[in-house]
Amino acid sequence: MSDGSRNEPAMDAERFAALAAAYGGDLRRWPQADRAAGAMFAASETGAALLGHAGKLDALLDSYEVTAPGAALHGGILRIADRHLVQRRRRRVWWLSLGLAGIGLAGAVAGLAMVSIVTPEVPSDHYVLDANATAFGDAGPDGETIEEDL
Amino acid sequence: MSADPDEELVRRVGAGEPEAVRTLVARKLPRILALAARMLGDAAEAEDVAQETFVRIWRHASGWRRGNARFDSWIHRVTLNLCYDRLRRRREWVTDEVPDIVDPAPLPDAREEPHRVEQALQAIAPRQREAIILVYYQEMSNIEAAATLEISVDALESLLSRGRRALQMILAREGVHE
Repeated sequence: MSDGSRNEPAMDAERFAALAAAYGGDLRRWPQADRAAGAMFAASETGAALLGHAGKLDALLDSYEVTAPGAALHGGILRIADRHLVQRRRRRVWWLSLGLAGIGLAGAVAGLAMVSIVTPEVPSDHYVLDANATAFGDAGPDGETIEEDL
Repeated sequence: MSADPDEELVRRVGAGEPEAVRTLVARKLPRILALAARMLGDAAEAEDVAQETFVRIWRHASGWRRGNARFDSWIHRVTLNLCYDRLRRRREWVTDEVPDIVDPAPLPDAREEPHRVEQALQAIAPRQREAIILVYYQEMSNIEAAATLEISVDALESLLSRGRRALQMILAREGVHE
């Protein structure tokens, strides 16, 4: 029902006719703010004639009814809704799995990064592996031994 | 703006509650079907439009936020857009430039009064038909109907007046209305 407000204190025949032409002969369909003033004017001969004329078309409009939704349509719409809900749940599970996998991958990458940062870098000249090196040290003749031999 | 009576229900539908889905269908399907049937004048096409409207609702319910329009206005807009797609396919005129009386020939198959009214509604400009259906049959307030049609209240009143005048002329020609 209409509830528009125009703040019109009183109603003249012209406005009454315009409202009846637009909203019909039933004041309950009129903008709420116009109903009280409209009801007062409707008591006049002109008002009653205008409402009566509009009411004839209303009666014809009322005669045109449409059929209510059948069980097949109702059921079909609910089946589509069920399918939609199932698909949405699957999508949510899929995105959750993807998110968890992403978190796991990010953790692994972060762990590798931490290991590479924390582990001290081995200087390249700290230990030279050559043909004379053994698990017990350099097996080759050292400088002192060479000097003693001399 | 007053509270939207459907807001909580739509939130529950968006959360995937089956009971809320059933309640929404029971509450809105008759309105959507009636709107589409009167806009299109074809029961089978109206059922297709009603189904498509609900598909849109399921798709958007979880993200639906009330902006300037109520949920009921939004689904009316969706339904009307789907109706217009079908009317365009029928090559009907979709602008308000259409004259009040479209065709002076007698209405086809006009044997019964309700059928004559249905035919007369189909004969007027779609924008006028839309306005009459929203205010008269869907019982929307003038503000809700204007918001749904995205026009001013004055423009709505103009559409209503011209639409009703066109209906009176068509029905008078048919001998249904004096």
